[in-house]
Amino acid sequence: MTTFSRRGAMGLLGGAATLPMLGAPALANTKMTVGALRFTSHAASFVAFERGYFADEGLDVEFKFFQAAQPMAVAIASGDADYAVTAISGGLVSLAEKGATKVIGGALSEEKGIDGQKILASNAAYEAGLTSPAALAGKNYAVTQAGSSFHYMGSKIAAAEGVSVKFKPLQKVGAIIGAMKSGQVDAWSIVPHIAKGLAGAGAVKIIGNVADYIPNYQVTTVFTSAQNAANERGQTEAFLRAFSRGADDFNAALVDKTAGDEAATDMVKLIHKYVYADRPFEKAEKSIRNGAMRINQNAGLNMSSVQDQLDWFKSEGLIKDSITSEALVDSSYAPTI
Amino acid sequence: MAEQHVPFRGGGFRPQSKRGVGVLVFVFVLLFLEWGTRAGWITNLTLPRPSDVGATLFDLAQSGVLWTHLGPSLTRLIVGSLLGVSAGIGIGVLIGLFSYVRAGLVPVVAAIFPIPKIALLPLFVIWFGIDEGSKYALIALGTFTPTIVATYGAVDNVDRGLIRMGQSFGLSWLSIVRKIVLPGALPGILSGLRVSLAIGIILLVAAEMLGAEYGVGAYILQAGSLYDLERLFAGVVILSALGVLTSWIIGSFEKRLLAWRA
Amino acid sequence: MDLTLDHLTHRYGDMLVLDDVSLRIPAGEILCVIGPSGCGKSTLLRMLGGLEQPDQGRVLQGGEAPEGCLNPLTFVFQDFALLPWRSVAGNISLVLEDHGLPKAEIDQIIDSVLARTKLSDFRDALPRQLSGGMKQRVAIARALAVNPAVMLLDEPLSALDAQTRELLMEDLVSLWARQPFTAVYVTHNLAEAVRLGHQIAVLSRRPGRIREVIQIDLPLSERAPGLPELDALQSRLWHLMRDEALAADQELVHG
Repeated sequence: MTTFSRRGAMGLLGGAATLPMLGAPALANTKMTVGALRFTSHAASFVAFERGYFADEGLDVEFKFFQAAQPMAVAIASGDADYAVTAISGGLVSLAEKGATKVIGGALSEEKGIDGQKILASNAAYEAGLTSPAALAGKNYAVTQAGSSFHYMGSKIAAAEGVSVKFKPLQKVGAIIGAMKSGQVDAWSIVPHIAKGLAGAGAVKIIGNVADYIPNYQVTTVFTSAQNAANERGQTEAFLRAFSRGADDFNAALVDKTAGDEAATDMVKLIHKYVYADRPFEKAEKSIRNGAMRINQNAGLNMSSVQDQLDWFKSEGLIKDSITSEALVDSSYAPTI
Repeated sequence: MAEQHVPFRGGGFRPQSKRGVGVLVFVFVLLFLEWGTRAGWITNLTLPRPSDVGATLFDLAQSGVLWTHLGPSLTRLIVGSLLGVSAGIGIGVLIGLFSYVRAGLVPVVAAIFPIPKIALLPLFVIWFGIDEGSKYALIALGTFTPTIVATYGAVDNVDRGLIRMGQSFGLSWLSIVRKIVLPGALPGILSGLRVSLAIGIILLVAAEMLGAEYGVGAYILQAGSLYDLERLFAGVVILSALGVLTSWIIGSFEKRLLAWRA
Repeated sequence: MDLTLDHLTHRYGDMLVLDDVSLRIPAGEILCVIGPSGCGKSTLLRMLGGLEQPDQGRVLQGGEAPEGCLNPLTFVFQDFALLPWRSVAGNISLVLEDHGLPKAEIDQIIDSVLARTKLSDFRDALPRQLSGGMKQRVAIARALAVNPAVMLLDEPLSALDAQTRELLMEDLVSLWARQPFTAVYVTHNLAEAVRLGHQIAVLSRRPGRIREVIQIDLPLSERAPGLPELDALQSRLWHLMRDEALAADQELVHG
């Protein structure tokens, strides 16, 4: 019913192109599902939801939570979720190549000066001399799956140090943490709130920053189905606007810290509803603050980083050589950096 | 009244082997899928084109990558299931022979059997290491319990009359076990093996979830995470072939060892 | 060697199956035990062979087993009890292998018992290839192979058709004629009993008690189907058993 009335409204108003100018009520009660992980890096969506930015755009958002990035890409392709934020993985690229998904903007970025993803060594490996990424030669490097962002990072770091590592696929972040703690694998890289939490508990050692090896790394992107990108321009732009407002609030409160202490605490409280909800606030607060990384303004997308990632996938034989960044990205929505 | 033929009414309900029908159905399904994917009403997101899967398999074989994946997987399957099956047969025979062992172990086996062994994989990684040890252990445990159940069931089903006969001729306990119980249980054990080894193949994929760089399971998982359907199905075809192969091996064992049955 | 049953009493749970049975089996003779179904004939035989223990009473064996006897008390079962995965020769060799005999001697015993039971041509056949009568011949050959002191035959011909039964009876008679053996022959078939028994013990229906022991003086080799003396004896036995058999037939089945 909603779809029908919306279509009717669109017809009356003379097509989709005019919609963005019409402001909030144009998309009244558009239901959509947004895929998310319970990570601080997904905060922009949570903020947009909690502060009513989605509602302002007439979007009735429902979150669908996932355990890993990969299934989210599949859920977008199958139509079980409309929008999501996740790392560029081989699976996402393959789905884009099959005409199922499109990247429409950028989210989390590595930025010099902001605490970003950390390179970790297990305690056993650290004691055996793995005190800096330069000593990674021949070590077991944990990844979730082949073609995941962990694989990309590990590969780039090893290449920069001129060493080769062995990648151990362990499927889930939880399994990797277990394997790192017990010393079954030697090294890993992960977002700062997890890295600092583990290192703080003495379970692992931090031996480097990802930003030093992959500057301006576009870690996560906003993406949707090719169908939404091509035919639901109004709805997609509305989503990105609300998402960007959430990102702005988040950056101001926790990354640039220009909004003051109170705003920062409010932001942490808001995020705590979604992230580390099973932990007491005092404990969660530190992790959430630790995990704050820049979410790009206006969902800007760093195309050179995207290109670099695509090239790497191709060089590893993980995706077809014929895939171009145009097939992956619909650049008409967000500014490129 | 004129004489009539008595109408025949004894037909049907008699399974007969019709050679080639299975192959025909298989070929028909493949052609159907090929047509659907070429015509476009099966999208490349739904199913890969069978000919592309074939080409992927061919490339795998030709580049030798097939063997880098098949080698480790076969080793894991053989070592793991050899451990699981031999321990399972041993303990199954003991359960079949000794009431105390039965009373003690049958509940334990019943408790272990339904555990999804995949759930224990992280634990095995801690116990046996992330390399081959945990993979052997997973496949061994997975084949172990069904083998036990099949074996003691088979021992239970050995004709008691034959055992009494052995006793009445004064055969030693060991002779009765070796010459009457074990050969009598063999058909049941072998048909149990079919199930156990199929479970072994299923668990191969699970075993290669953690820390495997090469292997058919790792290849399938990688293809799945890359959403590369051609490779995914190529891997699945390899697993199916592996299943058909083990079934054939057991079949030829049965032909040789159980010739007395036919 | 002769066997003596001394006041055997046996129960299955609450049910008395054998009540104070005493019997002597003289050496070199065949004793037939007949009785209606469920009278405990087979239980009695298993006790004789040591496969079951009586609640009260004793089974005694007297005298020495013959020279070269490997298994003094040897059964022949109704269902033949042949290992389906072993050939005819293999089934016979099964009962010889545990005795540490040299292979040549085992082969020689097998050849001899196969010849005595007219099975020489079937040495390598599997049981499933043989008819019921042939299977029972193999079982008898197997029993002969251990040179028993006493043969315990548990309804050996009951699973066979009438013609085969007749042939096998003749075979048993000629085997006994060649070399007399001691045997207890349990059956519910009166014709078999009067053809093969030197003595016939008649058991009552449950609980089994000895009703009568009948001596038959006519030599085995002279007995033949349709002989008036045997027919008279058979109808006398039937008279003894008829009412009991009828009552046994109408009993509810226990367990």
